[in-house]
Amino acid sequence: MAGAKASPPTTPSSMSHTVSALWKSYVQKTPERLKFIDAFLTFIVLSGVFQFVYCVLVTNFPFNAFLAGFASSVGQFVLTASLRAQVNPENRSEFKDVSPERAFADFALGSIVLHFFVFNFLG
Amino acid sequence: MRFLKTALVSCLALLASVLAKSSSGDKVLVLLDPSLDKANYSIFFNGLEKRGYELTFRAPKDASPAIAAYDVPNYAHVILFTPDTKSYATDVTPQSLVGLLSENTNLLITLSPKQTPLSSLATEFSLIPPPPGTPLLSHHPKRDEPATLIPVEVTKSPILTAGTSPVWFSGAPHALGNSPYLVPILRAPATSFAADSTDDSGAGAIVDATEKSGEGLWAGSQLGLVTGFQTTKDSRVVFAGSVELFSDEYARKPLPDGIPSGNAQFARDVAAWVFQESMVLRIDRTEHHRVNETDAPEMYTINDQIVYTAYISAYDARSSSWKPYDGLTDLQLEFTMLDPHVRTTLPPVAGEPGKYEVQFRAPDRHGVFKFVVGWRRQGHTFLHTTTIVPVVPPRHDQYPRFLSAAWPYYAGAISTSVGFFVFSALWLAGDVKGERKNLKATKSE
Repeated sequence: MAGAKASPPTTPSSMSHTVSALWKSYVQKTPERLKFIDAFLTFIVLSGVFQFVYCVLVTNFPFNAFLAGFASSVGQFVLTASLRAQVNPENRSEFKDVSPERAFADFALGSIVLHFFVFNFLG
Repeated sequence: MRFLKTALVSCLALLASVLAKSSSGDKVLVLLDPSLDKANYSIFFNGLEKRGYELTFRAPKDASPAIAAYDVPNYAHVILFTPDTKSYATDVTPQSLVGLLSENTNLLITLSPKQTPLSSLATEFSLIPPPPGTPLLSHHPKRDEPATLIPVEVTKSPILTAGTSPVWFSGAPHALGNSPYLVPILRAPATSFAADSTDDSGAGAIVDATEKSGEGLWAGSQLGLVTGFQTTKDSRVVFAGSVELFSDEYARKPLPDGIPSGNAQFARDVAAWVFQESMVLRIDRTEHHRVNETDAPEMYTINDQIVYTAYISAYDARSSSWKPYDGLTDLQLEFTMLDPHVRTTLPPVAGEPGKYEVQFRAPDRHGVFKFVVGWRRQGHTFLHTTTIVPVVPPRHDQYPRFLSAAWPYYAGAISTSVGFFVFSALWLAGDVKGERKNLKATKSE
């Protein structure tokens, strides 16, 4: 991922300085499409965290519903992350055989299958 | 032929006495000891015949007519007016009499102070006979008759008509054992005792004898005079301590205070009970189904609401038919798998006589259960019925769905799917725009 290398933090202020430099670099240097995928990834992570917190704090009944919902989040995250890796122009050398269209097709097919299993197990 | 005879007799019944026929058959064999005069029992026997029974008389030593042929009884009821007979024909033995009871034949047996095979049979029914030769004596109430002829108060009993006058009795008492199948009908008066002589000089010897034998003093109302026994097959046997209870002489003899004796009424009531006319019940049918359904399902699911219904009739001797009976207030239903998981009352349904219904929830266990109705009360026929039903756990699609506790998970899964579709749409739209831009760029170059 394009971005400045973080200098080893020596003081708290340098830590926050590093983080803001990281964030600025990310915003400026990342292509639009990758940022779009990152937004989707964040949404999935939030959904998964919310379900997990609910399960731990309130109730884990019915457990199959929790597993289905959480697996949906995790599975979708994995598929979207792999799409991002394959579509990233900086990784072209590693994914010579896989065109971006092929990567997206794999992603879509995997997601459809994942959702089918999730809704079956959701009860 | 039988139908015509019954019709004719029932017509006469409208004009004459009550027609009461047994629920289990009308043929009665009477074993009458030759020393007894048949004419002395005419009130009793004629009363039976008027009620529709067919009486056949025989001496105990005669071989025919036989009581049973090849283990099948020829008669529905047997009366043994043989209190002093010591030897019988080969078809009358204590074992054969018990065999008759297992074949649903009812017996009316009379005992006496003499020791006979019948008094040893009484021991098998948990009745304890007194020492031989000790009739019942009572010096109260003051009367002209000898001390062995005693007027006995008739206590309240569902078998006997209310308000029956005291009955004359002369014979042997017996002590009641602790079998739950015994039905005491007539108990000795409190002032009576069993002794072998009418003057009191032998009283001390009696006390010594009872202390030696360990049964206690043969005195008081702990002694029974007429006791019934109902077997588990619902056949009934009555042991009466005196055969003269049923005689005309005692029926006609007035009591010391002038009122006529209750012997005739008492004999009629006892015969009605023994011969399965009164206090006879049966379960016609039982039904079970889920609430809001009418047919019995092949199997129930756990936590189902189940409705169980029993239809019970009592035999009405007056009309010789079974009529629905709603007088049972303490019926219980058990839903059992090794142990009763549910035990609930089965109350009568108001407005529908004979119908007893209850609704309950099947337990949270699956397995093979039984509906058990068991009802045993003294003097009444024993009611018992079992119905076996399977109870299965819910099928995979019978569990509750869309639980309110699971909505965050449903929302999470649905939002992920929706997000995926929106993302794909936007991604592909972006792709198309990007291609157009590329084409434009290459074209412009």
